[in-house]
Parts: sequence; C-alpha cells; structure tokens
Amino acid sequence: MTRSLAALGAVCVSLLAFAAPAQAQEKARLNWVTFHSKAMEGNLEGNPADRGAYVVTPPGYDENPDKRYPVVYFLHGFFATPQMYQDMMKFEEAVDGAAAAGNDVILVMPDGFSKYRGGFYSNSVTTGNYEGFVGEDLVAWIDANYRTIAKPASRGLAGHSMGGYGTWRIAMKYPGTFSSIYAMSSCCLTPQPPSAEAMKQVEAMSADELANAGFAQLAPIATLSVWSPDPTNPPNYWYTGLKEDGTVDPLVEARFAANAPAAMLGQYVPALKSLEAIQIDIGDKDFLMQGNLAFKAELDRFGIAYGWEVYEGDHGNRIKDRIRSHVLPFFAIHLDRE
Amino acid sequence: MRIALAALAALALTASPAMAQQNIIAPAPEIPAGITVESVMVPGASLAGNLEGNATAREAIVVLPPSYGKEPERRYPVVYYLHGFAIDGRNFYNFMRIPEAVNNNAGRGAEFIVVVPDSLTRLGGSMYSSSVTTGDFQAFIASDLVAYIDSHYRTIAMREGRGLAGHSMGGYGTWSIAMRHPGVFAAIWAQSACCVSPRRETVESATTLAAIPLADGIKADFGTRAALASMVAWSPNPQNAPYFADFPIKDGALDETVLAKWANNSPLAMVASHVTALKGYAAIGADVGDKDFLLADDTAIHEELTRFGIAHDWAVYDGDHVNRIGRRFDEVVLPFMARHLDKGQ
Repeated sequence: MTRSLAALGAVCVSLLAFAAPAQAQEKARLNWVTFHSKAMEGNLEGNPADRGAYVVTPPGYDENPDKRYPVVYFLHGFFATPQMYQDMMKFEEAVDGAAAAGNDVILVMPDGFSKYRGGFYSNSVTTGNYEGFVGEDLVAWIDANYRTIAKPASRGLAGHSMGGYGTWRIAMKYPGTFSSIYAMSSCCLTPQPPSAEAMKQVEAMSADELANAGFAQLAPIATLSVWSPDPTNPPNYWYTGLKEDGTVDPLVEARFAANAPAAMLGQYVPALKSLEAIQIDIGDKDFLMQGNLAFKAELDRFGIAYGWEVYEGDHGNRIKDRIRSHVLPFFAIHLDRE
Repeated sequence: MRIALAALAALALTASPAMAQQNIIAPAPEIPAGITVESVMVPGASLAGNLEGNATAREAIVVLPPSYGKEPERRYPVVYYLHGFAIDGRNFYNFMRIPEAVNNNAGRGAEFIVVVPDSLTRLGGSMYSSSVTTGDFQAFIASDLVAYIDSHYRTIAMREGRGLAGHSMGGYGTWSIAMRHPGVFAAIWAQSACCVSPRRETVESATTLAAIPLADGIKADFGTRAALASMVAWSPNPQNAPYFADFPIKDGALDETVLAKWANNSPLAMVASHVTALKGYAAIGADVGDKDFLLADDTAIHEELTRFGIAHDWAVYDGDHVNRIGRRFDEVVLPFMARHLDKGQ
C-alpha cells in the first residue's frame, strides 16, 4: 500500500514536472526558520523560546503547489548546533538523493542546543521543555506552514546520539504523533548519574570553566540541568544532591532512572508497539554499544519488533552516509504518501 | 514490611467485621434517600492480554447525586476515586460510605457523580501502572473508564468536569496517572499516597522475595504481596514465568537495572520531569495523617512540588493511614473538587 502510493506519487511528480519545465526547482532547498515555542517559555537557563529549525523542501516543492509531502524529523546530537550538523550532513543533498529515488520528503531538524550544549529533548524547568517543543509545537508549526501530509502515518522521527535518545523518549511520550522511528547510535539509554566525585567537581566549577568545558566533561553537567533541575538553586538551577558527608541524595539517581529509556520502556510498551516500524543502528566501534545492547534486550523482552544493524564504524564517521543509504530509504518505505 | 503490616492491621481493624483471606471486606453502606448507586462492568481494552489473567472487564460503582433522576438535561462533574491495595473497588466503596459523602455534598450545594473502579489483581493491586503482566491500568483509568462513563452517563465530558482522587495505592495512582496522562482530569487529590519514594530492597529481602513460589505469593501477607505486586507492575518481564517479572536480585547482588525501573515509577522521582503536566492542573491536593507511616514519604512529595513552584493544597491531620479517610473524602476532597471542577450550572 505504502509502496504503491509512493509510486503513484512519483508518477504525479513527473507529470507535473513536464507541465512546467521552465521554472523547475531542480534541487532541494535548505531553509532556516524560526518560530515561537510555547513549551520553551520560562526556562531558567534563558534558552530562547524563539527556536530555529532547518527545513529542507524537496525538488519541485514550488512547482507543485497542491502536492503534500511526508516529513522526517531529525534530532541532532549533543555539543553541536544544528548548523554544525548541517555542515557535516548536508541534508539538502540527502533529500535530493531521496527525491532522485522517487521519495520526495520534507526534512526538519530543530535546534536542540542549550546553554550547556544540549537539551536532550527532555522536559526540565532549567533547560526548557524540549520534548514539548519537538513533540507538539514543532510538528504543529511545520504542519501549519508547509504542505505536509499532516498525519502520523506520514511523520517519521530520527536522530543521532543525543538525538537518538530524543527519538526514543519522544516516541514513548507522544504516541500517535509519529508512525516510524530510526535511532542512530543513541546515547543515554541506561541511567548513568554522575558520581559523587563528579558532583564535587561540578560544584567547584566557575561560570567560565563551565562555558569552556569539553564534550566529556560537559555531558554529565548538561544531563544534570536536564534531569535533575532545581529552580531554587541559582545560578545553575540544578540539584547535585551532594551532602555534607560526601554522599549523594538517592533522589538524584532516581531522577536519572526516571529519564532513562531502558528503565522507562516497561511503562510505554503500548506506545512503542503502536509504531509501524522501528530501526536501530550503531557502529561496531561505538562507545555506546553497551547501552544499545541493554536497550535491545528490553525491546526483545517485551516482543517489540524492530530492525537492528551493527555496521563497521564509530560513533560519528558513517552517519552522513547512512542518512542517505539507510535512514531516508527506511522512511520511504514506511511513511505514507499521497 | 513492618509498616506494611501495620497498615494491614489498621485497615483490617477498621474495616472489620470480616477479612476474607487477604483482601479487605467491608459491609455495604447505607444509601441515603435520593442517591442512586449503579454497578457497571467496564470493558478494558487496555487490559487485554495481560499475563496474570486479570479480568479485563472491571466493575465500577457509579454513585449518582440526588437531582440526577429529576433533571434529565443536567450534566454533572465526575470524581474518579481509586482504591488502595488488598481491597477491591466495591469494598472500598463500602468502607468509604460514598453514597453518604455524595449526599452530604449535595446538601452543601455540590452534586457529583462519583465513580469507584476496581483494579484488584492476582497479587492484590494493579498499582495503576502500565504493565504487560498486570495490564495497562493507567490507560484503563485514563481512557477506557473515562470514555465508558462519558458515553453512559450525563457527565461534563471534558477535562474541566473531571477529578481524580485516591487513597494509599490509589493516591499513588493519582500521582502517576496525573503525570503520565495529562489533559484528562482537571483536579487531583492524593490521600495518604503510598509508594512515593523509590522502592528498594536489600540483598536479604530480595533473596527472600525471589524464593517465594507463586502459589504462596498469591496467599502471602500484605507486605509480601505489596512487594510482589510492585514488582509485576514495575519490572514486568513476559519471559520470566511464573510471576512474569524480574526480581531485583541477580547472582546474589541487587540488580540495579530492576531498581532503576522501580525508581522510574516513583512519583517523587517523576516530578522533576513532569512539571509541565502538573502545572496544567486547575488544582492539586494531598493529605496524610500525622500518625500515618507514610507521613515522611508524603511530606517529601509535598516539598518536591513546592521546590518546583507547583501550587497545591497540603494538610497533615490528626489521624493514621485509615481512620479518617472516609470523613476527609466527604469533608475535604469532594468540597475541594466542588471548588475546582466545572459544575455545569
């Protein structure tokens, strides 16, 4: 059904292209848009509620004003801005490639960046409600401003690393919004609260040191503002739970558990089973293999169907290729077209 | 264990005359003139296929206010009231004397439909969680039950006309459903909520628990069954018969993966990531007796709500886990709902 509709769509496109050859928009177009996300209002880090997103429209979008398209939402990773992802991935070229294969699609990558370089697509009073921003506000805005097929059957969700985490989280918490998901090299699937030692270091860091911290040092700090917020504790508004005796309040560990997909999954089985298709991949040299294997075991336990592929690569070196060779083709199969 | 046994003792004493096996029995209440009580069987699509073989059609007791039969055009707000552990919906309704509470509130000018659903399971209670083993009781309450009541009674069939309350395990269910299913209820009240902090075990207690054959587990004391019921609700595993759940112990050590799943179901741990949902309620209330073994736990969630600036009513009253809850439902919870729910007139 999906495939025959896709074929029909492709035929329509070629007919229309013949009708208006002179003005043909031959390449996909990359747009940077901004809109106001109500969900992001009032966060304590001052992350903007006016959020940006890249929107890539496929070739022929302008020439076919009655045509509607499926949408793939792509969530970027930690420590990176959307622009850095765009520079690496060249999304408009990927959309061109999909179009050449007959799979016209709109691709949207929202800005998941924050003061500490990543909102983890979660919901925190400190960083902001990124999950609501993506799962509700963004989808509604795109549907209102682009010619989408505004139905779950035509919406896909994908992401890399922190974005893979966001893919799982939003799929669980917003059932009935997306119909298929693709998680690449997902981070943060099992709970990993910072150690007491790490908490001590975090508390001793100056604003400058925080601003200049590298990836490995900043990741646990960012997760603290996302998963253990405390609006009564300026200037960073997080709760390390560090006590005078050097131990950490068990509440912090519990809060991390309450945001770990492997721990959450048991409560969201119906949401995941309602998806048409799930695909997971990861490089064989990725440092996140353990977490992905643990999560895979949870999916197996509950009989949730998914595709799984381990490929030759590390956490980042094949992502650009695989968006073209696997992610967009996956959605071409599973997203309904007109 | 000690505290759980105390709870059983308290509840059993108050609810006597009889305790059939391990679930609490209370005598049918008087029904004041003008109050109508109906019993309906609600089909629970969300409970289909549960591995414990728990019934998917559940009894719900529906208490209609005095004017319901006289004003055929009028619509009413509904308060859904969730029972605790080791009791079914009907006996909770009996014990709480709901008809009297509905009548008293009508006398104060606030008419409600009160609905008491049943969620008794093989091990004594659903925890109102979503588990392939016990059934998705979250969705049963928030979707199946609400849809059934809205389509069979003259309700104010929107969020503004719906309240959710519960006692003990039902207070836990109130917190959990309120956070994970925002948009269904407008006002919530948790009485003496259990299971607020993450449940932990020691190597010894977990080892003991894991050695209990299912046949004995089903007949075990209150505390043991509460531990087993929590496990099947929060760490279900279709591949681990006969409980279809994972015990929090592996190779002689605590299994932190299982404990993380339990923590994920702790309302105290959930608040920080569900502030948006909680702030979406017109009103939130919670109370606990000053002699309740859950005082510290319930105070902890009150403090967590306060930390996040989530407005709520909070009361510590003279009482234990059980002895004042019926009266407080009548005199505190329903009047609270009257202030915050759309009354339709």
